[in-house]
Amino acid sequence: MYHCKHIKGHRLKTILAAANCIVPAHEGLSNGGTLETAAVVDWAIDQMPGALQFQFLIFISIVYLLGIFFGGRPFHKLSYNDQIRQLKWMESSPIKAFRMGFMGVKSYICMGYFTRDTNWSAIKYHGPVFYDTPAPDDVIRKLCQEKLKVRS
Amino acid sequence: MKKHYDIVIIGSGAGGGTVAQSLIPLREKGLKIAILEQGPHFSHSFFTQREIEMMRLFRFNGAWPVKSGEITIAAGQGVGGSTLMYTGVSFRLPEPVLQEWNVPDLSMADLYPRFDQIEQDIHVIEPSEKMVNDNNRLFKQGCERLGWPVKKIPLNVKNCEKLGFCNLGCSSGSKQGTLEVQLPKAIKSGIDLIPNCEVVHLSEKTIHAKIHKAPPGTLEGMWQPGKITIHSDIIILAAGSPGTSGLLLKSGFQQHLPRIGRDITLHPAMTLYGLYPKPIVNYRGFPKTFYTDQFTDSHNYYIETAFYYPFVSTRHMGLWGEQLSEIMSKYNQLMTVLILNHDTIRPENRITIDRKGNVQVHYQIATSVIKSLCHAQIHAARLFFEAGCELAIIPCASSPVIHRDQQKQLEQLIHKKHFIPIKTPVSSAHPQGGCAMGKNSDTSVTNSWGQVHGVPWLFVADASLFPNSAHVNPYLTVMALADRVASKVIKICS
Repeated sequence: MYHCKHIKGHRLKTILAAANCIVPAHEGLSNGGTLETAAVVDWAIDQMPGALQFQFLIFISIVYLLGIFFGGRPFHKLSYNDQIRQLKWMESSPIKAFRMGFMGVKSYICMGYFTRDTNWSAIKYHGPVFYDTPAPDDVIRKLCQEKLKVRS
Repeated sequence: MKKHYDIVIIGSGAGGGTVAQSLIPLREKGLKIAILEQGPHFSHSFFTQREIEMMRLFRFNGAWPVKSGEITIAAGQGVGGSTLMYTGVSFRLPEPVLQEWNVPDLSMADLYPRFDQIEQDIHVIEPSEKMVNDNNRLFKQGCERLGWPVKKIPLNVKNCEKLGFCNLGCSSGSKQGTLEVQLPKAIKSGIDLIPNCEVVHLSEKTIHAKIHKAPPGTLEGMWQPGKITIHSDIIILAAGSPGTSGLLLKSGFQQHLPRIGRDITLHPAMTLYGLYPKPIVNYRGFPKTFYTDQFTDSHNYYIETAFYYPFVSTRHMGLWGEQLSEIMSKYNQLMTVLILNHDTIRPENRITIDRKGNVQVHYQIATSVIKSLCHAQIHAARLFFEAGCELAIIPCASSPVIHRDQQKQLEQLIHKKHFIPIKTPVSSAHPQGGCAMGKNSDTSVTNSWGQVHGVPWLFVADASLFPNSAHVNPYLTVMALADRVASKVIKICS
């Protein structure tokens, strides 16, 4: 069992909703907003240096709260279209911190989704040539292979 | 803990590894030599070919942002430095660039024999037909149809198994980086290699460092974790452009050497994708075999073939939402190229240290670079369509996915007004400068032999030495200059 250390509560709801916007379902690809995506994001946040980790978690909370300005509700409760509108605003915002924060959130969600073996067949990527080499970190290997159950 | 050496090399990449090999004659004469490497010592079995697991080969997981956030730097972190995860591209420094550098006593006549020897040592070859995968074949066809010169990239590989994972560490050991060639020879001769050794400060012939515990799965070093003071008669810095300047700044050398951290260039690059109508499976085979220099003289960039893994590709594309899912669902049909701008030094770009002692790279993308990158995107799009692609993914287009039937409007669609810093994905794998070679301390940090002005026991032997951009991928030039630095050290010690 993998227990998320950082992505829980309002941050989990925000990441799941943002992941559905960043990687929506398409042909073989499933929606990005799953606990499995969040768990890889959580693992990656845990590897960050302390100061960066703090900034990143604060930014996720800002995304959550910023929803108030795009539909009067926290981000995860906005309509899909309002969520997209908020993310687009952050991506091209005149305020540099929002652009940087958006790129960070987008990158970590894409990492949480596209580094998982279980999503490779949908993108027609055959992965490593030496598939079963020993893992330097067993936790991330198992998360990417969905061999660990995730609890937020 | 206290230690004493005759010579200590800080860093084990293209510069540090080469200096170590070139100093073997001194080791054979009985001098004590050590190489200190901040990162871990990875064995071949560590290279699992998985993006997320291999992010630890890179500083900041491969996306070390400059202060402005406009560029992310990919720099290696481990024994072998950036030669751990480069593609093995081994260009010689072009002669006109050396002339432009105008470093006293540094000539092609001096560098040519070093290039010859190093190319032999690290097995630089012209890629064979067998190494050319579909992505590279399409690149060549596209260039030829456009009438652009298409040239083979010199590579340092031996018995390449064409697995396609060069940038995640070469698990077969075919790529002839310093981990495979120079360092094993140096270690065999009795030079000590100390991994996980973070140098925090330099003072008169003294290194203050911390040994960290070896991360799981990596090779243990010979010293126990803890603080260490190392006395050395000669110290050679080869910690990479930001690392070497950062260490000198942390140690207070800027009082007498005001150019430390100045004169930096990054080779801003963008990776672009085209969607081919059928699978081309660019993730197998050798990723880089061709380039074109059609626009080098006129617009300051090269276009090279390239390949990146799924997650990193999503960062380069600048897409998200339905467009990202649609394109990524055809990942095996993506044709990939890299546009590499050769920028020039600017006063606002430099390396500094923040209040906590962390190295900061300050870099703002100049308007001339943005213009060049936009020109390159227009021509990369032309190349994709000429090669047969249906779509081109171009970050500086009004809408980043351009369809084949829009190819006559490329110059209207792709424009610098769509370049939004941070949103537009620009990366660098070639930080250069910061301790430029030159005549005196008013204009440079070292002499043409890498010896720091006014500090005869201190040398620099990495890309920091470049007074301006090398224009081409810098590894072979770094190795040649490092060999030259070693020859000066040998002369002093003899």
